[in-house]
Amino acid sequence: MQSNAALEYDYSLAKKFTFLTILFGILGMLVGTLIAAQMAFPELNYLLGEYGTFSRLRPIHTNTVIFGFTVSGIFATWFYLGQRVLKVSIAESKFLMVIGNIQFWLYFVGALAATISLLFGVSSSKEYAQYEWPFDIVVVIVWVLWGVGMMGLIGIRREKALYISVWYYLACFLGIAMLYLFNNMAIPTYFATEGLGSILNSVSMYSGTNDALVQWWYGHNAVAFGFTVPIVGMIYYFLPKESGQAIYSYKLSLLSFWGLMFVYLWAGSHHLLWSTVPDWMQTMGSAFSIVLILPSWGSAINMLLTMKGEWNQLTDNPLIKFMVLASTFYMLSTIEGPIQAIRSVNAIAHFTDWIPGHVHDGTLGWVTFMIMAAIFHMAPRMFKREIYSRKLMEAQFWLQTTAVVLYFTSMWIAGITQGMMWRAVDEYGNLMYSFIDTVTVLHPYYAIRALSGVMYFIGFLMFAWNIYKTMTAGKELTQEPQFRTPMA
Amino acid sequence: MDMDLRNLQGYAHIFMSGFLVIMLYWYIIHLYRSEKKGERDYEKYGNIALDDEVTSTPVEDKRASEREYKEENK
Amino acid sequence: MFFHWLEKNPFFFAAAISIVISFAGLIEIVPNFAKAGKPLVDLKPRTVLELAGKHVYMKDNCQSCHSQMIRPFKSETDRYGDYSLSGEYAYDRPFLWGSKRTGPDLHRVGNYRTTDWHENHMMDPPAIVPGSIMPAYKHQFTNIADIETAYAEAVTVKNAFHTPYGPEFQRTRAAWDAHRPKVLADAKLIADDMRNKDVKEAVANGEVPEIVALIAYMNSLK
Repeated sequence: MQSNAALEYDYSLAKKFTFLTILFGILGMLVGTLIAAQMAFPELNYLLGEYGTFSRLRPIHTNTVIFGFTVSGIFATWFYLGQRVLKVSIAESKFLMVIGNIQFWLYFVGALAATISLLFGVSSSKEYAQYEWPFDIVVVIVWVLWGVGMMGLIGIRREKALYISVWYYLACFLGIAMLYLFNNMAIPTYFATEGLGSILNSVSMYSGTNDALVQWWYGHNAVAFGFTVPIVGMIYYFLPKESGQAIYSYKLSLLSFWGLMFVYLWAGSHHLLWSTVPDWMQTMGSAFSIVLILPSWGSAINMLLTMKGEWNQLTDNPLIKFMVLASTFYMLSTIEGPIQAIRSVNAIAHFTDWIPGHVHDGTLGWVTFMIMAAIFHMAPRMFKREIYSRKLMEAQFWLQTTAVVLYFTSMWIAGITQGMMWRAVDEYGNLMYSFIDTVTVLHPYYAIRALSGVMYFIGFLMFAWNIYKTMTAGKELTQEPQFRTPMA
Repeated sequence: MDMDLRNLQGYAHIFMSGFLVIMLYWYIIHLYRSEKKGERDYEKYGNIALDDEVTSTPVEDKRASEREYKEENK
Repeated sequence: MFFHWLEKNPFFFAAAISIVISFAGLIEIVPNFAKAGKPLVDLKPRTVLELAGKHVYMKDNCQSCHSQMIRPFKSETDRYGDYSLSGEYAYDRPFLWGSKRTGPDLHRVGNYRTTDWHENHMMDPPAIVPGSIMPAYKHQFTNIADIETAYAEAVTVKNAFHTPYGPEFQRTRAAWDAHRPKVLADAKLIADDMRNKDVKEAVANGEVPEIVALIAYMNSLK
């Protein structure tokens, strides 16, 4: 057991989750592009009858990209890098392999079923927590299985010190577990009565303002522990490994970690500024959002400095480009968020398109870029083949980068225009615009956004194609590459 | 009753924030001091990502340290 | 040293993370539950028909484009009416404040829109509001609302959270059968103000189309 020359990392689970990442990525982004187009061209609402309206599809987009695409990406990278930084093969434990496979199948089936339930309008209505209670239970079981697998792997590790990425994955597991459980507390009405009504319906344990507080404590921190924490965990492994440069400052990475853990949870109430939650909480939300810049930028700067003296790799290696751009967008969205959390800015920005604009800086520019880069890095190791086409990767990079820029610029303008028009008054103090004026004026921006969606989606298809060809037609490798990912 | 709750929240918040801030600063000092004293080189952990073959030597070998521990306590 | 020990012991390390991240929730959220949950003095819980309408609102996910939160700005109170109060939401499970106004706020839509207006608007929004990008919801005129589930929900919140529903709200099927005519009578009042023949016929036959429940709900938003 100590040093077995034939011992190898087992990538079977990483591969399975990689397939799901791509599958759910295509599905979630396709729906996202469609609903973006619906806002510019409302006739597109009638492609699927009752099931094709913007309102029905929007939760499918959000839940599929979060719980389908991103979570698959988190699992895929964990089953890859978890083994490597702990220096233990998951195949060393039959138990962990079985648990991992149960997790995979339950997750796959559960995610599909939950998506279909949303299509039929079975929804508890809370944003990013729309799944009704039976699907919530599946989510919890999948999550617990992942936790057991993670703790198990940590238990049999060879490397005593836990690498910083492991910290982040562990925090992702704990954070999401806590948030998801508390936010989804609900009583199934069928069982609370003598079997009256639908078995799927449940009623929230919290009401009104409390419910809003719990929801946005969840909503904000689901972003923290789903879109920030594990993605930082990924880049702390993949950027050093791809570039051959150790993290610029390991100590800074540890400090940023604890800073992020402490500060993030307080910021949730910035989603409720000017609402009926108590004032001091709103102020707390604003203040902590500003403080949050420190740990966020601590991580981002650490990533960029890792490339110090090695910037030539940026031009040589498209994968480094993906990761550096991801860190840059992370910096952009972590400065944009706190700005929006300032009360006076929020008064204009809240309820407008600037908010989805901000979200997509992070999700398109940071999360998706990083996950794609991770898969590009893992593919030659998992399939023992070179990346099929470097040219295609370069083209994809520029297409998607342009798409993200178009997305956020159009939504900045749209959001600020709308926010200003809602509050505009004439010389007598009367409102200047009826609501519909503030909708029709946005048409060009919605059209640009739809275009950016199409571009980004095509880029993602290029990525999927590239990975598919890598698996099936890439040049075979005799030896696992150490740092830089080989590509044709 | 209302005011009591508010006060309690306020005190709890100040106390816990203060406590965690002190912990964080203590941690910073600890990180730099233990490196300076030569007790521990935190930056070497950065190599865990770079040298991550299943056969490569761990930066800190868990199994080896467990063996030592067992032998010491025989 | 404490930190060395912590970093090498995954279990305690995980516990430390949990403590740090749950701190905000403990201080910020938990203690306010008693206070913020208080209803306004004469606040009434929604009727079963309105509750069924709320389910339709959630099923078609209206809150993805419409808020129910009027902020305390003159521009908002001029446009939508009085700013929202915490006590107004005390019986809302879940809350439906929304986070995006692709369409206007609806918290007081019952004050300035009528059954008739909603009927025409849900059938073809751009015909009523030229330039509107809202899709038509024609299926709500044929889909049947689930009033039994709405009743089950009323009973559940009465028993679990003491929401003040009357003594006739009981867990049994017999209680529901006794209450059902009341829901249908409410539905008939709405349908009487509508023009759609199929809807009127359905209500006369003891079924409640989704649009009727939805309009009842929207009329109750005041």
